[in-house]
Amino acid sequence: MSTVLTAKDLCKTYIVNKRQNNVLKNVNFSIDEGEMVAIMGPSGSGKSTLLYAVSGMDSITAGEVDFSGRNIAKMDEKKLAELRLDEMGFIFQQMYMLKNLTVLDNIILPSCQSKKIKETRKETVQRGEALMRKLNIIDIADNDITEVSGGQLQRACICRSMINNPKIIFADEPTGALNRSSSDEVMEELSKLNNDGTTIMLVTHDVKVAAKCTRVLYIVDGNIKGEYNISKCENASQIRERERVLNNWLMEMGW
Amino acid sequence: MYLSILKKDLKRKKTMNVVLLMFIILAVMFVASGLNNVMTVINGTDYYLDKADIGDYVIITMGDDSTGNAAPILDKAECVKSYKIESSIFGSQDNVRMIDGTDTETKNITLFQSISDTKLKFFDVNNEPVTEIKQGEVMVAGDFIKNNDFKAGDYIRIKLGDVQLDLKIAGKVKDAFLGSRFMGNTRFLLNQSDYDKFMSDESIKAHYQGEIAYIETDDVSAVKNAISDIPGVAFDGTRDMLKMCYVMDMIVAFIVLILSICLIVVSFVVLRFSIGFTIAEEYREIGVMKAIGLKNRKIRGLYIVKYMIMSTVGGIIGLFASIPFGKMLLMSVSENMVLGNTAGILINIISTVGTMALILLFSYSCTGKVKKLTPIDAIRSGQTGERFRKKGFFRIGKTNAKPAVYMAVNDILSAPKRFMTVIISFFICTLFVLMLVNTVATMKSPNLITTFGTESDLYITDVDSAMTIKNTGNKEGVKKELKRISDEITAKGMPCEVSVDIQYKYKVTSNEKACSISCAQSVGIGTDEYEYSEGTAPKYKNEIAITPQVSEMLDAKIGDTVTIDFGTEKVDCVITAYFQTMNQMGELIRLSDEAPTDMSFVSVARQYQVDFTDNPSAEEIENRKERIQKLYDNLDVMTATEYCIDCVSVVPTMEAVQYLLLAITVIVVILVTILVERSFISDEHSQIAILKAIGFRSGTIIKWHTLRFGIAALAAAILAAIASIPMTELCISPIFGMMGANDIDFNIDPLQIFLIYPLVVFAVTIITACITSLYTKTIKTSEATNIE
Repeated sequence: MSTVLTAKDLCKTYIVNKRQNNVLKNVNFSIDEGEMVAIMGPSGSGKSTLLYAVSGMDSITAGEVDFSGRNIAKMDEKKLAELRLDEMGFIFQQMYMLKNLTVLDNIILPSCQSKKIKETRKETVQRGEALMRKLNIIDIADNDITEVSGGQLQRACICRSMINNPKIIFADEPTGALNRSSSDEVMEELSKLNNDGTTIMLVTHDVKVAAKCTRVLYIVDGNIKGEYNISKCENASQIRERERVLNNWLMEMGW
Repeated sequence: MYLSILKKDLKRKKTMNVVLLMFIILAVMFVASGLNNVMTVINGTDYYLDKADIGDYVIITMGDDSTGNAAPILDKAECVKSYKIESSIFGSQDNVRMIDGTDTETKNITLFQSISDTKLKFFDVNNEPVTEIKQGEVMVAGDFIKNNDFKAGDYIRIKLGDVQLDLKIAGKVKDAFLGSRFMGNTRFLLNQSDYDKFMSDESIKAHYQGEIAYIETDDVSAVKNAISDIPGVAFDGTRDMLKMCYVMDMIVAFIVLILSICLIVVSFVVLRFSIGFTIAEEYREIGVMKAIGLKNRKIRGLYIVKYMIMSTVGGIIGLFASIPFGKMLLMSVSENMVLGNTAGILINIISTVGTMALILLFSYSCTGKVKKLTPIDAIRSGQTGERFRKKGFFRIGKTNAKPAVYMAVNDILSAPKRFMTVIISFFICTLFVLMLVNTVATMKSPNLITTFGTESDLYITDVDSAMTIKNTGNKEGVKKELKRISDEITAKGMPCEVSVDIQYKYKVTSNEKACSISCAQSVGIGTDEYEYSEGTAPKYKNEIAITPQVSEMLDAKIGDTVTIDFGTEKVDCVITAYFQTMNQMGELIRLSDEAPTDMSFVSVARQYQVDFTDNPSAEEIENRKERIQKLYDNLDVMTATEYCIDCVSVVPTMEAVQYLLLAITVIVVILVTILVERSFISDEHSQIAILKAIGFRSGTIIKWHTLRFGIAALAAAILAAIASIPMTELCISPIFGMMGANDIDFNIDPLQIFLIYPLVVFAVTIITACITSLYTKTIKTSEATNIE
């Protein structure tokens, strides 16, 4: 399996009120194609900062981020935008979409903007609808975003992140704003995507969410303190066991 | 907490608050100066005429042996309470030259008078009465000094008959009677001894002397009746008519007032948007305040306090700015008038307080939504989840438009109310500018020519022509004179026919009402060549056409009979038609070719009309104009359009106002665009961050934001262009009506209305929106994680 993402000696420093705050300190890790990696850690440990640093959404202070053989730290804003549009997908905690567009239009918007996608608008719509069908939200295609539930909207956000067939999906607490049942639905969809071969890197506080991943990176004070590898999840009984084991490991790490 | 929320608001929305403050300042400034100017001009006309002691009725007699005729008749007339007569020499442009002998520019007939003999009061530029002029000096009324680039201390050469004097210009005087734009005659005030030198020439005494009588009366109609027996009356007019001559000054002031009202409307539209927006943005804070038990009144008070502070600051700045601004606007008016403004500052203060109160009332009504929201609604940012309106009928899947274009169009179609502020304010300002553009274009077009006469290739306005025509003796003599001129021009390779429209003053009686009315008769132009709004052209000796104004004066309609005393005989004339004219402010009768006119009653023969018989092109006509100017050493040879501009005389002022309005429109467009775009960016901060996060470039976002404004501006400009046509007719026709023309064919220049001006508004909007939307560059992709 080839490596999709590699971070080498990654550092990120904020200067707030003339005080230097080293959020990431020489972080090193890599993610292979088809992996589903969860970043966990206490609040303020640098989880989200790491996610945004390696996805090109935020600049880094030092180090290298290699994405499919390209050092994104050296890319300009235009190139980074192109990369995020064509090769990455994003899911945020808040299911944010454009207010004046329907759910389907929000989903296909990145595809319409992409120069990589060479297809007619009709084909794009068909692809968007196929994704929505796959995630069981086709009924809300023509709805206004204020007319659907949080779970439905987050699944729509997953569709949006998938529309340009990205190499990797970055998800920042994708279930953070959802109730348990919606959270389970969303994670089920993400797992399915991962099983279909999509690489996923997500940040979470939820052990149940992390248990569905293939690897967990535990970060404390800007350093990866530990790494826990899990095999791909097969059935529900396995999940409960994985949650228990993962929970124990996290306790050991100081969770 | 109040203070901290207020401080936070003022700091966080600095640009929006600054723009809003600018609107308040502009609104106050325009209302205060506009109202003040209207009050000053309306009252100012009476104030000025009273101060100049002009009386209730004025007549001018001129021509051969015209002096001494008025006094005996006025003495006998019971309706005349008192009168004052001053004598004057009537001349033309040819009588006044530069010291090196070159031409000067004067308008209409010029008058030369002794300051010692004047009965009207004249004022210098500092509004001090002028009572004395030194020997060898001259003071001049009207725009003569400005138009000829003279200054005090320069010399001019005045030659009347055989007497020639070089006189030093001592300054300008304000002339209440002849100084208005409509009268526009140049009056030269001299020392008595200099005047006597001119009067020593017998030909001047006999042919060029005349009188001006200022009459006090309570019965203007009776005076009209009485003076109809005075021979040689070249002009007579009531005080009301003289006031009307300042109509253009009033129009400028009224335009400023209407502009002020437009700006208030724009300010309120913007204010409504801004207040509504501020509250929508702070639903959460409002919810928290409500949840912890703050009363609606207190929460509303928070916002009202902000607008109170802003309206007070804006009001004070606007009040102070309104004083020089008002003076600047009145500069063109006060050049020719002595304006009374004793209550000036008070009007400014009242206007300011009124505008501030309106802003506060408005902000109070806008904050009403606070009352309707429950705490939880507010915390949910106003989203109740019960909005089932179908959105997005314009679908990206059904168009091939680029996302930026699609999002721009979709935003406007999905939430048109959000763009109403932009559309309404741009529409109002653009409409106003376009109405003026249409008015100026009409004034500058030959469309008005039929309200002054008939259309010809060229017009030679020779102010001495009335005298020349009189000296021809009779109509045959006039024909010979016209033949002589046409032969002269034809001999120079410009085959043509020359005609002239002559105005006479005759006593006209109808229904026991008698008035001295100007009657026009042409030589070389058939009466059927003129336009009539109703009826048929007068054909026989006893047929006439009248204007609606004369119809009202005489209480006579088509088919009625009026009696005209032609001097040689009295003829009962049937009214066969109505027509409109801007000559004599609409007070004119058109006679048939057969009417028994007499040259001794000629009052005006302003222009010779030249019609080339070889159908030359417009370019050739322009070329011939220059050749005729050289031939007659007369610069006043004009095309039909130029002649209209010359007759209307206010085109430059209207053009200046038009450009001022355009500048104000541009300022409003810039301010509204900045304010609304900054508000949109603030509202869409999170959406922009998300778009950037998922890979949209800053350029696409800027394009999206800019296009939205471009579309809104274009829609407003096109709507304004379409609406400007009926609105111009509705609003501007009454102004022409005051000047005598009730039915005007407005000249609509599609290039200006539908292209140039909409393009200006569009371009300014696009540039401003583009520059303002550059602010979106500062929104980072990482901010997508901090969405509230």
